[in-house]
Amino acid sequence: MKKFKICMLGAFAVGKTSLVQQYVNSIFSEKYQTTLGVKIDKKSLQVDGSAVELILWDLAGEDEFINVRTSYLRGSAGALLVADGTRAETLKIALDLQSRLQTEVGEVPVILIVNKLDLKSDWNIDQRKLEQLEAGGMQIIQTSAKNSENVEEAFELLAGLALSEAAK
Amino acid sequence: MNNEYPENVVDKILQLTLRENRFAYLAIDAEARLLKSGGDLQAMALPDWKPGSNIEDDALFLAGYLPLKTDYELIAAYQVNDSCIIDVHLFKDSNCSWIILVDKTEDMEWEATARQKANELRLLQQQVKNREQALGPFAETQFDFFESLNMMAFVAVAEGGFQLLKPVAQRFSEIYPESFSATEPLYPQEKFPFVENFLIDADDIWSDPKNGKRIRSGPWVELNNAGEEVPLEAIALNWQGHKLLFIEIQDESYQLNHNFLQIGREGVLMKNILQEAVRKQTREIRAREEEIALRLVCAADSRDDGETGSHIRRLGLYSELMAKHLGWGDADAEEIRIAAPMHDIGKIGIPDHILKKPGKLTESEFQIMKLHPEIGGRILSNSSSGLVQMAREICMGHHEKWDGSGYPLGLRGEDIPVSARIVAIVDVFDALIHKRVYKDEMSVDNAIELMLRGRGSHFDPELLDLFIGLKQEMSEIAFDYSNPIGEDRTQPVKIIEDIHQLRPE
Repeated sequence: MKKFKICMLGAFAVGKTSLVQQYVNSIFSEKYQTTLGVKIDKKSLQVDGSAVELILWDLAGEDEFINVRTSYLRGSAGALLVADGTRAETLKIALDLQSRLQTEVGEVPVILIVNKLDLKSDWNIDQRKLEQLEAGGMQIIQTSAKNSENVEEAFELLAGLALSEAAK
Repeated sequence: MNNEYPENVVDKILQLTLRENRFAYLAIDAEARLLKSGGDLQAMALPDWKPGSNIEDDALFLAGYLPLKTDYELIAAYQVNDSCIIDVHLFKDSNCSWIILVDKTEDMEWEATARQKANELRLLQQQVKNREQALGPFAETQFDFFESLNMMAFVAVAEGGFQLLKPVAQRFSEIYPESFSATEPLYPQEKFPFVENFLIDADDIWSDPKNGKRIRSGPWVELNNAGEEVPLEAIALNWQGHKLLFIEIQDESYQLNHNFLQIGREGVLMKNILQEAVRKQTREIRAREEEIALRLVCAADSRDDGETGSHIRRLGLYSELMAKHLGWGDADAEEIRIAAPMHDIGKIGIPDHILKKPGKLTESEFQIMKLHPEIGGRILSNSSSGLVQMAREICMGHHEKWDGSGYPLGLRGEDIPVSARIVAIVDVFDALIHKRVYKDEMSVDNAIELMLRGRGSHFDPELLDLFIGLKQEMSEIAFDYSNPIGEDRTQPVKIIEDIHQLRPE
């Protein structure tokens, strides 16, 4: 079975833990519970007939209190960059973390998740910037950890990309 | 000394002196009469014998030894009294007998102490030996304290494995049960992916035996059998060449940090929510202000046919664009967008026959028309609103000219508010490129060419240059807003041009 370390990267309170919990345990909690340090979960799945295990590193969100330790990124086969659609500034943080990921591990598959699709009416994220990123080749998925919309798809897409990358 | 004592005596005295420096000596003849003496006899609890006196009666330890039958006799550990024990060394010389007295009191105490220490050491060694048998390959110290520290301790052994240093805190049985039955090396890095990552950093510490430093992994969380989160932290340490790995359960410190972070972040989130709510409300208020301003301006200008509200809308947008390129902040740029359309609001006070006159105004009519900035200024005066104050500035100043030849006050250069200088430019531009009942529209290039004739006289030259540099964006605004801005909020308006000097003949 192929094992891939996948890092969840993004600002605090964008829903990284909720995405993992929804994907791994089909659980969602409305209460914001901050992550300190790292939580690691595993999820096995089939990708194009191949058995894959994702080792999901749910890293504490980046903010003025905490910086993501770049050593945590070591060995990553991919990352989910998570932004909160209702907080425009979280997109920049996600992209900054992508740069640090590249510095630490080089080019690995990443997917930008714009989370909180269930609050779409409150979104203020820079749509033009998203379009530019998409035009530049960034894979972007809008998700809702709350109602699980596109959550599984995002992880499976990244697993597929990691598998393809490993096969190169 | 060699002249006075036989060689063997000297050697012995030297040894004793070197050892203790606590001795005395006596020289006696065959009848035990004292020939000479030296040293600290008093410390030996002996009498202060005078030369020539017989010492045999007082020196009880000599009983039976005199005369000496051998060259040397030792009377060991003679107890003079309860607190004084001496060694007595007897030497035979050709001329006399030598008695060397050595105080042994402290020797005895030292010996007792040394014996005590030796026994303690032996006991300790025995304990260590017992521990060695229990701990296997890592036996230099004791690790009982790990139990109380909620810590698991490992020492690296060959091939990436770790020997567990027992005992293990009971709580680890919930997250790492294998460690409790381990007899073979363990591989915590396989159990905990986090540790696998951490060991790469740990190798930096371990690879340098002189490093002596330790590194901490930072916290991570595992789940116990009950599905509860258990916060852990790994620590790597190079201790006397041993690669030590500790895994510690972090209860209080983690909870403390977690609570601090939770409170801090909830505070930030709440602040963000409040700020966003304020921004949203501000936007709504601004939108209402803008709509009211546009409706009022449209109502004021509706007395004349022809132009629509799109002119005043464009005027606001041109002005905003200029302001942004001048480095104004968003709030100020937004303010001029709303204020600029009010520039001609004073025309509400101009009579119809002048305002609606299709042809060129007479001089007296023009004098009346020139009153509209002041009328507008009065309408907008005495407001505490920054927006209305800016609108008044524009209203009063948009017919002033850079060279001071404008009206109503004849202000010159930078005495004219910059907001008014901006509107002076964009008002003329928009009028020139749009059709009026009395003229056709002009191309953008022709309009700019015409306006350049007023550079430094009518218009602020630097602002005009900036405006021309934005020709493309200005043209896009003119195109995008060429139609009325909406039936529900717009009334037909007529832009009254009083720029007769620029109006083509």
